[in-house]
Amino acid sequence: MISIVETPDSKLTPAERAKREGLRVRKPYVAAKLAAISAMEERGDISPIIRLEKSYLCNFQCTHCSAEYYMDRHKEKVFKIEDARRKIDLADIRELSRQADELGLARFVITGGEPLVMKDFDEVVAAIDPEKHYIITDTNGWFLDDKEAQHLKSIGVEKVQLSLDSFIEQDHDNFRNKPGSYKRVMRAIDASLDAGLNLLLSTVLVKGRAKTQEFLDLCRYATEKGVGLYVSYAKPTGSCTDHPEFVIDKEDADILRELEKDYNVFTHMTPTYGSFKGCITVKGIITVTSTFEVTPCPYIDFSLGNLRETPLKEVLARGMRNPWLGPYRPDCLIGEDPKFIKIHMEKTKGVTQLPVPWGQGFSDADTLCD
Amino acid sequence: MKPYGLATETCAPDKVPVPLFDEHGRCMPSGLTATAHARTRRYFICTQPEIDYGAIHARIKTHLGIADALTAAEFETRAEAIMQHLRNDPATAEMTRGVAVPFFLPQASYPDYGAALEHTYLEAVKNAFADKLPQYDFVNHHRDGLAGKLDIVRGSRHDKLVEAMRHQSVVGVFFPCLSEYSVPAAIEQTGKLPAQFMLAGGFDTCAALIGSPDLLLRTDGYPPLLWLAALAAEKEATGYHFEAYGYNLTFNRRPHFGQAAEYWASGLVVLD
Repeated sequence: MISIVETPDSKLTPAERAKREGLRVRKPYVAAKLAAISAMEERGDISPIIRLEKSYLCNFQCTHCSAEYYMDRHKEKVFKIEDARRKIDLADIRELSRQADELGLARFVITGGEPLVMKDFDEVVAAIDPEKHYIITDTNGWFLDDKEAQHLKSIGVEKVQLSLDSFIEQDHDNFRNKPGSYKRVMRAIDASLDAGLNLLLSTVLVKGRAKTQEFLDLCRYATEKGVGLYVSYAKPTGSCTDHPEFVIDKEDADILRELEKDYNVFTHMTPTYGSFKGCITVKGIITVTSTFEVTPCPYIDFSLGNLRETPLKEVLARGMRNPWLGPYRPDCLIGEDPKFIKIHMEKTKGVTQLPVPWGQGFSDADTLCD
Repeated sequence: MKPYGLATETCAPDKVPVPLFDEHGRCMPSGLTATAHARTRRYFICTQPEIDYGAIHARIKTHLGIADALTAAEFETRAEAIMQHLRNDPATAEMTRGVAVPFFLPQASYPDYGAALEHTYLEAVKNAFADKLPQYDFVNHHRDGLAGKLDIVRGSRHDKLVEAMRHQSVVGVFFPCLSEYSVPAAIEQTGKLPAQFMLAGGFDTCAALIGSPDLLLRTDGYPPLLWLAALAAEKEATGYHFEAYGYNLTFNRRPHFGQAAEYWASGLVVLD
């Protein structure tokens, strides 16, 4: 689950409590920050997870990829452009880590692209600093064998979020456009657990899938395996722009909410121990792109500011005072709100260098009504 | 006159614009210092539950355990009289075009509001919800108890409802019409309305949900979160509320920090 360790000890299961205790012993500073999140939220402070997209290199080309338009391969082959914008380096990541730490933020997700093809992955982990932040990596699992899992653990990665988009082998491979990828995911599940990594399975919910036997089987599998199944709604962004039929409706979302009662399955909007965050844009997550732009979620291609020009604290404040993003809403803004989806599609159409800069997508002049 | 009152306008109580409510029954923010959205795109809205006075009466009587309740016919007559009175006044007629939920409350007085809300009214909401919608759940996420934690907000006029309950059973209509108001703005706005309007608190909101358990159930969109804005919690800028989760109903507590949100609404109540 995205917010894994911000709950009072008394509300945790014994297994969760043991994991937290282990973290306290190994990384007391990180554990203390995580334990403080509930109090931060009670004070009105926010503690978003930072998704870091240092590189968009990927060995897959998935049907629903939200990052495809950020990738060099897409810019070169489709947009026919070279992106000359300055990219982040390890010094930038160290500065981001410092600013995040100052604000009490505690969690980073390394994403992409496929993080495990990054040649400097270990250096990125070090630049974030596993003694200061809880580090998670996304992965498609292709390279995650026993040796790699043990290596991740050894360099300070705490958790792996592994993509599995169908419990039917052929469907997963087709969706991911990568024969053999299902088998690699299954290998990666065992490798991660054996290495003592926390593990989350991540799957994309397209319209109608919540009603299928396949999805029910996947929910059951994850629950029996003792692994959480994180469900992300298909959004009309990135490669999914060409697949509006993937976008879910409220019935899909509500079916999923009912499944949460029986299975270890959840979305980013699922209440954690009674704490309702709703849409987690800014409040629970931000994305830092390879050009140091900050977007409020992985699927919204509007920047809240560039960290070379604006401190993280102000970028977060911009997000929280924006009527679309703050302070609280129960639905997925980019996945469910037709008006925002329309605005987003109009403003990103034809844009070859995403995200749309602050002031052109989001701005302080935004209103909900025309 | 502007179609919507602007939150920054100044407006003395004796110069309240007419009408007070828009064509959807929303109370228009008027001369507020606290934050409320001047306009709404009506994205988070309640839909009108079925008004079957007999069924509402039976649910409230059963789940609040009222032995000497007024009759269903009397309940209907008194609730309809409230609606008619509002319809007859040009300042309030538009309010009746919005969602309206009739309810009644027993003659009762309680030494502690929070304890009564938790042990009597939330339990009744739970049972009424289970009765009407057995396939879904009512969940009280607030496990730390309410005894000693709730006070009636000064200026909310909710004290009038509690006082009325001391002497006799009361009939009222609940209107979730303060949509996109911050909690302080809902309190402030109530003070600018004619005296018949009271800000909804715990007993009245619960009674509305006991009688109409599906008030926050929508399949085609999202209903708003309903603050119990007339109640001050044990901590400043924090409040208690009802909220749908899918087809389920929840009760919870959260900070609001005086902010307005598109998703947030408070209720007004009119008694007979």
